[in-house]
Amino acid sequence: MSSESSKKRKPKVIRSDGAPAEGKRTRSDTEQEGKYYSEEAEVDLRDPGRDYELYKYTCQELQRLMAEIQDLKSRGGKDAQAVEIEDRRIQSCVHFMTLKKLNRLAHIRLKKGRDQTHEAKQKVDAYHLQLQNLLYEVMHLQKEITKCLEFKSKHEEIDLVSLEEFYKEAPPDISKAEVTMGDPHQQTLARLDWELEQRKRLAEKYRECLSNKEKILKEIEVKKEYLSSLQPRLNSIMQASLPVQEYLFMPFDQAHKQYETARHLPPPLYVLFVQATAYGQACDKMLSVAIEGSVDEAKALFKPPEDSQDDESDSDAEEEQTTKRRRPTLGVQLDDKRKEMLKRHPLSVLLDLKCKDDSVLHLTFYYLMNLNIMTVKARVTTATELITPISAGDLLSPDSVLSCLYPGDHGKKTPNPANQYQFDKVGILTLRDYVLDLGHPYLWVQKLGGLHFPKEQPQHTVITDHSLSASHMETTMKLLKTRVQSRLALHKQFASLEHGIVPVTSDCHYLFPAKVVSRLVKWVTIAHEDYTELHFTKDIVEAGLAGDTNLYYMALVERGTAKLQAAVVLNPGYSSIPPIFQLCLNWKGEKTNNNDDNIRAMESEVNVCYKELCGPRPGHQLLTNQLQRLCVLLDVYLETESHDDSVEGPKEFPQEKMCLRLFRGPSRIKPFKYNHPQGFFSHR
Amino acid sequence: MERAAQQAVPLGQMEVFQALQRLHMTIFSQSVSPCGKFLAAGNNYGQIAIFSLSAALSSEAKEESKKPMVTFQAHDGPVYSMVSTDRHLLSAGDGEVKAWLWAEILKKGCKELWRRQPPYRTSLEVPEINALLLVPKENLLILAGGDCQLHAMDLETGTFMWALRGHTDYIHCLALRERSPEVLSGGEDGAVRLWDLRTAKEVQTIEVYKHEECSRPHNGRWIGCLATDSDWMVCGGGPALTLWHLRSSTPTTVFPMRAPQKHVTFYQDLILSAGQGRCVNQWQLSGELKAQVPGSSPGLLSLSLNQQPAAPECKVLTAAGNSCRVDVFTNLGYRAFSLSF
Repeated sequence: MSSESSKKRKPKVIRSDGAPAEGKRTRSDTEQEGKYYSEEAEVDLRDPGRDYELYKYTCQELQRLMAEIQDLKSRGGKDAQAVEIEDRRIQSCVHFMTLKKLNRLAHIRLKKGRDQTHEAKQKVDAYHLQLQNLLYEVMHLQKEITKCLEFKSKHEEIDLVSLEEFYKEAPPDISKAEVTMGDPHQQTLARLDWELEQRKRLAEKYRECLSNKEKILKEIEVKKEYLSSLQPRLNSIMQASLPVQEYLFMPFDQAHKQYETARHLPPPLYVLFVQATAYGQACDKMLSVAIEGSVDEAKALFKPPEDSQDDESDSDAEEEQTTKRRRPTLGVQLDDKRKEMLKRHPLSVLLDLKCKDDSVLHLTFYYLMNLNIMTVKARVTTATELITPISAGDLLSPDSVLSCLYPGDHGKKTPNPANQYQFDKVGILTLRDYVLDLGHPYLWVQKLGGLHFPKEQPQHTVITDHSLSASHMETTMKLLKTRVQSRLALHKQFASLEHGIVPVTSDCHYLFPAKVVSRLVKWVTIAHEDYTELHFTKDIVEAGLAGDTNLYYMALVERGTAKLQAAVVLNPGYSSIPPIFQLCLNWKGEKTNNNDDNIRAMESEVNVCYKELCGPRPGHQLLTNQLQRLCVLLDVYLETESHDDSVEGPKEFPQEKMCLRLFRGPSRIKPFKYNHPQGFFSHR
Repeated sequence: MERAAQQAVPLGQMEVFQALQRLHMTIFSQSVSPCGKFLAAGNNYGQIAIFSLSAALSSEAKEESKKPMVTFQAHDGPVYSMVSTDRHLLSAGDGEVKAWLWAEILKKGCKELWRRQPPYRTSLEVPEINALLLVPKENLLILAGGDCQLHAMDLETGTFMWALRGHTDYIHCLALRERSPEVLSGGEDGAVRLWDLRTAKEVQTIEVYKHEECSRPHNGRWIGCLATDSDWMVCGGGPALTLWHLRSSTPTTVFPMRAPQKHVTFYQDLILSAGQGRCVNQWQLSGELKAQVPGSSPGLLSLSLNQQPAAPECKVLTAAGNSCRVDVFTNLGYRAFSLSF
């Protein structure tokens, strides 16, 4: 830029000397002559390309002239050269004029271009603004449209009847089928009209119904009044007819009397009484039900509080008589409290259950008022007097005859969880110490009385329930009967067993071979502790099958020098739960299930395969059969024992039994299974 | 009336019966699944129980994972023997061999795939099958047991190809010599017999009870277990547990164990044996007792080494016998826990 400006300045100086270029002058002259000179107008006429050419040419000329001047000046030679220099300077001046002109023209052009651009830009701005306005307008309109589209009319929430139904049911003046069929808007309007019409009608109906209801209520009131006036009249008639009934000894009366007494029973005993009577009448004619105890005492219990206080003082007086000499110390007071807590209701229900063989199970049910539980005492009487074998001591004792009627029901703990809190107050540790006196609170007894105790919540709100009692009555009665029968059967079997006789009945003979050499020599009862201390009963104890409610026996079977001990667990649930045998053979060393697979197999023969030994229903002969089977098993065991070739002399037990094979399987089990009609032994 | 009487049976009966059944249970056979993660055990009631070894061995194993994942009634009589092919579980006991698909068992669908009965001659009592042996190269299954014969069954067609006669009493056990296809069988008659599979003929007989070193007449002659490893054979039972050199038919080592042994197997450079008594015995080949590891059963009948390469985490030794428990030894040194029916 700076170089250009310096260039410009230089020609100016030259121009002031006055020497315009030739060509230039001629042209400007002609233009000036033609018309009024206007450079602006000239711009339009001239071609910018040619101007550019001209500019280039002029610059070249100038350069050339400058160079010549330079040349001349450097050569020296003053005069001639001065003229030439002057001439050249003039030429240069002309060129400068041309340049100046061109410069002006360029400026004008530039200005013109700027104006044009500006003008165009303004136009574009205006258009842009217009466009934005329009866009905004469009957007606004769209919003309006969506708003309209989203508008929710209230009628949409109304659940209208379907279209078909509408055309079917609405009167034509509302439906206007010809208008509305094609026009959904009109159609909706018409449907709304119909809805309104229908609602109006329903409202009318509702009002009618209300008035109707009121009317009926009034009628009921009137009828009720009438009925209540009838009750006293009926009562008086009943009263009047009573003497007539008594006079005529109607059978209704006797039952009525028992029911009269039953009215004084506490609720659980009442439930029991009703259910037992009903069951006796419907299913079991051998069941008799009676009520024992003094009705007056029971009545006294229900007298108002001041009387009951008298009652208490009475009982206190009685107790004082018994404990006259003692001072009323704290201990005695606690004792009294205990007695009060364990008090029985004066009435009790007596159930006599007669079995087929004329033995009778007497059950007396008591109700402990303060503990809200029921207890039972049992007694068995038989038709013929029994000789009691020593080992059968516990079989029919009232304490254990009904033990575990249902699994786990020992009847030694109170079934009512609330009792524990009551016991804590008076210092009773467990009910177990009192059951002999009070009777056993078995769970089934509570159920027969309709008492149901939840396990978790200790609360007093226990209601008596007939359906609970009814659902348990039949099963329990059947269980009671089987229990008595199985106990009597055991009783009989024990009597023989003690004398070393295994009393196999004739209908079970087919289970055993005719010749059995091993003999039962001992059958004694043993204590639970003794049983658990035996070395070969560990498995049973560990499996939890040796609880203290079971009865324990020891049997000894002998043949020659071989002695087989059998420890027996007799579950109270005999015979549905089999007696469990554990064996220990003393012959050529001691053999138990731990060191001899065949002893183990023998145990499993009597314990697991007991079902084939049950004999005829109900299977009370099981114990006898198991013992006889044990004798047979011992025979097989001894006779099939492999003979040691190295020992001289005959075998102690020659093989008499017929066996297909001596050993079988990896455990080398002997043929213990007896096949009845053929009489041979095989493997199971 | 009768139905009512049946209802009156108290609930406890079932539980007592089950407890007695468990108490008198004997587990005769075991077999590891082809994937190595499951163990099948068969008992004397004909049931097969499937235990999940991987679940029982995992770190979050609970009590339930030591119970069978599924139990099914497979046979009427005891399940004396079981083997696994790569897809099937074969079980045998009361004269029949049955096949079950492992894949289906694990899905708890326990339906037998097929059953076969070898041609028996006697009819009064069906002879039992005491041992099964797979010959993988020839796709053969060899059965042996009560009828004193070895029956070979083609697993492809299910037909019985030939029977090998020679034993005079029932057969307890079988073992395979892999290199030369020969089968060894040991029986109640006290003999170990070698059979060539190619010619189906007897090659050699060793009457163990006749050798004074190992005979124990008071225990009887029977051979209860045998195992082989190339030229060596170990067998036991009535006679003492003895290591034999087969080519020379001479006893080389008599192991000092009084109780009759019911199962024996080679493991690396040890011999594992089990039988009457609570322990799994580990012997050096020289006859030294290396260790006795007590288990939970009073007597053991079968050992099973799980060496399936598919499940290296389940590489355990399991032992079962006269109880409802299968003892699991995670290493040979001690009993980790018991699986129970």
